[in-house]
Amino acid sequence: MRNRLKVLRAERDWTQAELARELDVSRQTVNAVETGKYDPSLPLAFRIARLFATTIEDVFQPEEEP
Amino acid sequence: MEAKRRWFHNPCQTTERDRRNQRRIIAWSLLWMVSWTAGALAIGREWLAAEAAGVVAAALSAGLGIATLLAYRRFLREADELRRKIEIEALALAFGVGIVGGMTYWLLGKSGIVAEAEIIDVLLLMILAHPVGILIGYRRYS
Repeated sequence: MRNRLKVLRAERDWTQAELARELDVSRQTVNAVETGKYDPSLPLAFRIARLFATTIEDVFQPEEEP
Repeated sequence: MEAKRRWFHNPCQTTERDRRNQRRIIAWSLLWMVSWTAGALAIGREWLAAEAAGVVAAALSAGLGIATLLAYRRFLREADELRRKIEIEALALAFGVGIVGGMTYWLLGKSGIVAEAEIIDVLLLMILAHPVGILIGYRRYS
């Protein structure tokens, strides 16, 4: 799954640690989500969307079919 | 690469809640191990009557062991979700290594190729495989 988390974070000039604190997760989790190594749970995806005042679909998009 | 290096040296990468729960697990584990070792010594060196020592040691060890399990369950329930995933994958690895390794070794032991293993050997194998699984998980998701 692709996501815009890094872009959204950069727009607000937040560090990964700051975002992690806001989301109540580890910085490693933020990093793994940003790099696409880990897909967050639905509750965390909702928290991310709510934090950036947007929708889940705006943050996360499925990989395009080959 | 820099991020990976930083992660291993910076405990702030995990949440404060995870660190607090891990400290609880360590404390209960230490108490459990001390009680188990003391019980084994008390029985082995006949400090107390064998039966009484056995009952006391088993009860104390079981009680502290259950407390350790409850602390671990709390850690898993409250853990950061990626940390929980890494932990569960490490548990699966430890379980798999223990079962496969134990069964394989049992066959080799029965055929006389190696000395027959005891249950404690399988447990040790699982205990060693768990941190390896944790390290693999950290590397995979870092």
